[in-house]
Amino acid sequence: MIKVLFFGSIADMLGQRERLLPAGEGMTLADVLKAVACADFKPLLVAVNQTQVNDMHRLVKAGDEVALMPPFSGG
Amino acid sequence: MSHPTQSVRIQVEDFSMAVEVDALRASSKRIGGIVSFLGCARDFSEGRDVFSIAFEQYAGMAEKAMFALRDEAMQRFDIIAVRMVHRVTTVHAGDQIVLIVVGAEHRKPAFEACEWLIDTLKQRVPIWKKETTPNGESWVTEHP
Repeated sequence: MIKVLFFGSIADMLGQRERLLPAGEGMTLADVLKAVACADFKPLLVAVNQTQVNDMHRLVKAGDEVALMPPFSGG
Repeated sequence: MSHPTQSVRIQVEDFSMAVEVDALRASSKRIGGIVSFLGCARDFSEGRDVFSIAFEQYAGMAEKAMFALRDEAMQRFDIIAVRMVHRVTTVHAGDQIVLIVVGAEHRKPAFEACEWLIDTLKQRVPIWKKETTPNGESWVTEHP
């Protein structure tokens, strides 16, 4: 499974903070975004296993943690 | 949450600027100048009252990103030591939110590193704030 985490306004919009997705052969980040209905969210920051990633063609596999995040506003 | 003596950390509890400055000063006798930035909660933002600010973090990644910032600042600037503390909790007007303390042999790199650290923290560390205003709650989207 792939663990998808949602933060901030994205978590509020979706009404959930976490979702598990079955991992598929050749699955990319773009596929993950579509599967959780976040493909049209902008601006959207994405991290895989706690490292920010810009390439939505990046492959994801079982055990990965994908975070979908609005722009940061700490400080 | 991290240990209270760790030089880079995220915590719920309040912190003491004096304790952090003393710890940084005690870490090296080569330090000739210390510059700090303390971010506090305001009671007014974007033209409206703010009753409270609730912070959320991506636990793990946020602290990792702060350590990476510290390491990058040590590379980029001629500085000796850095301490960074960010609170993740609900705060009210006047409360402390974030502290950055930089020590260097001379003041100029300490000023430059401190400004770079707070500016870059806002861009790179996965922490979000939600303000409670008279019109309800709203996520803060910009990082001025």
